[in-house]
Amino acid sequence: MKSFASRRLRNSTLTIAAMAGVVTYAWWSHVRLGHPAFVTGYLLLGMLAFLAAYNIRKKLPIVSWTTSAGWLQVHIYTGLATAAVFATHINWRLPEGWLEGILAAIYTATFISGLVGLYWTRTVPVQLARVSEEFIYERIPALRNQVRKKSQQVVLETVRATGRDTLGNFYSSRLEGYLEKPRGWYYWLKPSSRLRKRLLAELTEVTRYLSVPEQQASEQLFALIRRRDDLDFQAAMQWRLKIWLFAHIGLTYPLLMLACLHGCLAHLFDGGLP
Amino acid sequence: MVPSEVVIERPRRWDVPFGEAMRDEDVDQLLDLPPFCDMDPQAFPSALPLRDLLKNDTRINHYPEGSIVVREGDYGNSAFLVLRGNVEVIFSGLDPAILGRQKTDKRGFLRSLVSMWRSPDLPEVRKQIRSQRELVADDSSEVDDLTQTRVFLQDVPRVLGSSRTVSLKPGEVFGELAALTRTPRSATVVARGDAWLLEIRWQGLRDMMSRTPALRRHIEELYRENSLRVHLRETPLLAQLPTDVLEAVVAATKFETHGNFDWQANFEPAQRMIPEAIIAEPLIAEEGSACDGILLVRSGFARLSHHFGHGHRTIAYLGKGQVYGLAEAIQTARDGQPVMMGNSLRALGYVDLLRIPQAVLDQYVFPNFSREELAQVGTKYATYGIQDLPYDSAEDSSKIDTPLLEFLVERRLMNGIQAMVIDLNRCTRCDDCVRACAATHDNNPRFIREGQRHGPFMIAHACMHCIDPVCMIGCPTGAIGRETASGVVRINDLTCIGCSTCANSCPYNNIQMVEVRDTSGAIIVDQATQQPIHKATKCDLCADQVGGPACQRACPHDALVRMDLGNLGELSAWVNR
Repeated sequence: MKSFASRRLRNSTLTIAAMAGVVTYAWWSHVRLGHPAFVTGYLLLGMLAFLAAYNIRKKLPIVSWTTSAGWLQVHIYTGLATAAVFATHINWRLPEGWLEGILAAIYTATFISGLVGLYWTRTVPVQLARVSEEFIYERIPALRNQVRKKSQQVVLETVRATGRDTLGNFYSSRLEGYLEKPRGWYYWLKPSSRLRKRLLAELTEVTRYLSVPEQQASEQLFALIRRRDDLDFQAAMQWRLKIWLFAHIGLTYPLLMLACLHGCLAHLFDGGLP
Repeated sequence: MVPSEVVIERPRRWDVPFGEAMRDEDVDQLLDLPPFCDMDPQAFPSALPLRDLLKNDTRINHYPEGSIVVREGDYGNSAFLVLRGNVEVIFSGLDPAILGRQKTDKRGFLRSLVSMWRSPDLPEVRKQIRSQRELVADDSSEVDDLTQTRVFLQDVPRVLGSSRTVSLKPGEVFGELAALTRTPRSATVVARGDAWLLEIRWQGLRDMMSRTPALRRHIEELYRENSLRVHLRETPLLAQLPTDVLEAVVAATKFETHGNFDWQANFEPAQRMIPEAIIAEPLIAEEGSACDGILLVRSGFARLSHHFGHGHRTIAYLGKGQVYGLAEAIQTARDGQPVMMGNSLRALGYVDLLRIPQAVLDQYVFPNFSREELAQVGTKYATYGIQDLPYDSAEDSSKIDTPLLEFLVERRLMNGIQAMVIDLNRCTRCDDCVRACAATHDNNPRFIREGQRHGPFMIAHACMHCIDPVCMIGCPTGAIGRETASGVVRINDLTCIGCSTCANSCPYNNIQMVEVRDTSGAIIVDQATQQPIHKATKCDLCADQVGGPACQRACPHDALVRMDLGNLGELSAWVNR
C-alpha cells in the first residue's frame, strides 16, 4: 500500500511539471507572435468543466472505473494547476473590464474556497476524532434535547428528594439557558470550550454548598454539560465541512457560465466564432 | 395517496421446501434406510417430527456420470447421503475452469443507472412479495441453489489422472464438514455412473443430530477424520512430506476443539467484563509450560498472550493455517530437552486445533528439513505466526499497537473478512458512503455509519462477511448463506421469514430487521396477527455491482476501507499509510 506522502510527492511533481509545460508553451507561443490566450482559455475551460464533473461522479456511485478518492486526487491537483493556467491566460496582469473582473473574482473565490476546503477536510476530521463519541449531524438536535431533558430531570428529582433548592437555583440561573438555546453565531465560526470550562468551574464552586445527594446529581450535570459541549462542537465543525462544500459548488456553476460567455465574446471580438 | 396495509399470510419455516417437494413414498423409503431407520421418532418433538424434517429439509438429487456434486472451495450449507450409485471424492485441487466456475452476474453501468433512476422513494419496497402459498419463481441472482444446471467433468478418467481420490458407496455421508463448520468445501465430489444422493440442509442435519446421539457421534467422527487429513495436507510444513510419512503423522495427530461452537450466545456478557474476559477464555496452552509439540489452527481463532503486570497482554491472534509453538518445538528438537512455551494460547469463541506431538515431529517431520530450513520456518512462525504478509511479518505487524490488537480481539472483530473500517482522522462525515450504499440498494442504505471505536478507527455497523458467520446458525429456511465462489454472505429476501434469528445471532449487530412495503408503498402485514412482515437486511458487499463495494469507492478521502481484520499485515499497512 502506497503511503499518502509518496502519493503527494508523485502528484505534486506531475502537477508542477504540467504547470511548467503550460507556462513554457505560452511563452514560446507569445515570442512567436501567436495567441496563446485562446489555447490557455480553452484549456482552462476544459479543466473547469472537468473539475465541475466531480460533483456528477459523486452522484453516480455506480461508476466502476474510478473511485471517488482517485477522482478527488485528480480534482485537487487539476484545481491547483488551474492557478498557473489562469495566470498565464490573463498574462499575469489584473483583468480589465467588468465581465473579466467579475469572472476573475469568481474564479479566485472558487479557488480559495477549494484551498480552504482542502485545509479543513484535512484538519477538522482530526479535531472531530478527538471527541470520545461520534455523532451523526442530523441526530445532534435530538441528542441535545435529550441532554436538556435529562439534566432537568436530574435537578427536579434532586430538589424533590432533598427539599433544597441550591442546585435548582444554579440550574435555572446558569445552566438552563445554556442547555436550551443553540450556540451563538460566533461559536459556529470559531468553536471554543470557554463556556464549558466556565460553567464547570462555577458548578465546582457550588458543589461545596451541596448535600451528598445533590453532589451526586451535580456529578451527572458535569457529564451532561460536557456532552452538550461535545454535541455543539461536533455540530459546528460538521456544519463547517458541509457549508464550505455548498459554497464551493455554488460558485462553480456561475464560474462555468461566465467563462463560456467570456469565450464567446472573445471569439466575437476576435473576428467571430470559427 | 399511499395505501396503508396489504394483508398476507406470515411466511414460516418450510413454506418453501428445500427442493422439489418430497413425496410421502420417498419419505417412507428413507425411513427404512440407515441412519434414519435407527432413529427414534419419539425423540423428536411433535412440532418437529422426523418425517417432516425429511420431507422439508432434504431432497433427492440425481447426478449423471461426471456431474459435479460439490466443488472444492465452494461454501455449502448441506451434507449428502449416497442413496444409490457411487461418487468420487477428489482431494487434489482441480483447475477452476474444469470445475465450470462462472463469474457472478454483475450489473452493467446502464442497468445500474436504470435501477438507480427507478429506485422507489419509500424505504424497503419489494417488487416481489411471497406469501405462504406463493413459491419462489425465479431468482437466479439470489443465494445459490442446487436446482441450477449441473456442471460436468468431461473425460473423468483423464481429468482425475493421478489425483488422490476416495470412492463413496451407498450409505456414506459427505459434505458434513462444510455444512456444520460454515467453511468452504475441502474437496470436489463427482458422480461416477448414475448416482442418487439425499441432500440434507444443515438446519435439518442439526435437528437430527441433536435428537440422535448415534448420528451425532457418527458425524463427529467423520468430521474429525476428514478435518484432520485435509488440514494436514494444507499445512506448508507437512505438504512436502512423502505420503507414507504423512500418513504416520496423520495417525499420530490429535484433533482438539476448544471453546463453544455457539460462542455468540454468551459473547455480549464477556464483552462487558473486558478486563476479566481473557481469564474466562478456555486455556489451551500456558506460557511457561513445557513444549510438547505444535498446534495447528484448523478453524476459529485463538489468542496469543503474554503475562504483563497483573494481566495478560495480547500478542497476536491466530487463525486458520497458523501454528502455535513451532519455534519452541524446533528448539526442543535441537536442544534435546523441552523448552518452555513463550506465550499462552486461549480459544476465542471456539477453535479447532490439530496437535502434533513432539515425538512425532522429532521422528517424522524435522528429519526432512535441513537446519537452515528449520531455522527459517521457525522464524516465520515464531510468536506472530502471521502468513500472507507482503513483507517481513514480525517487524511490520508490530506497528499495530497492543491496545488496537486487544480491541479487535475482545470484540471478536478479527472474525471479519470484509469489515468496514473508517479512519476518523480522514473522514469528513460527508456520508457519501451511505448515499452510495443507498443508491445501489433501491434507496436503502445497508449499513450505519456508527460503530465501535478505537482511537481514530471505527468499525462501522456493516456486515463483515465473517470467517465464522454465526448469523447462519439457526436460520430455519436457509435464507442466509454463503454465495458460491465469492464467500459473500447474502440473504435471500424471498425465503426470509423475518424470524430475526440471524439478527439476534450476529454478535456485531450488523443485521437489521425492517418492515417491508409493496410497490404501492403499503406496509405488508401478516394476515393472522395484523403485525408487519419483517425481513432481515444487511450489506451484501454490492455483489452485483461491477466495481465492488460502493461505500469504499464513494469515499473521497480514503477514509473507508473494506478489510480482512484477520490479516494483521493488511491492517498494519493500512494503519501506517
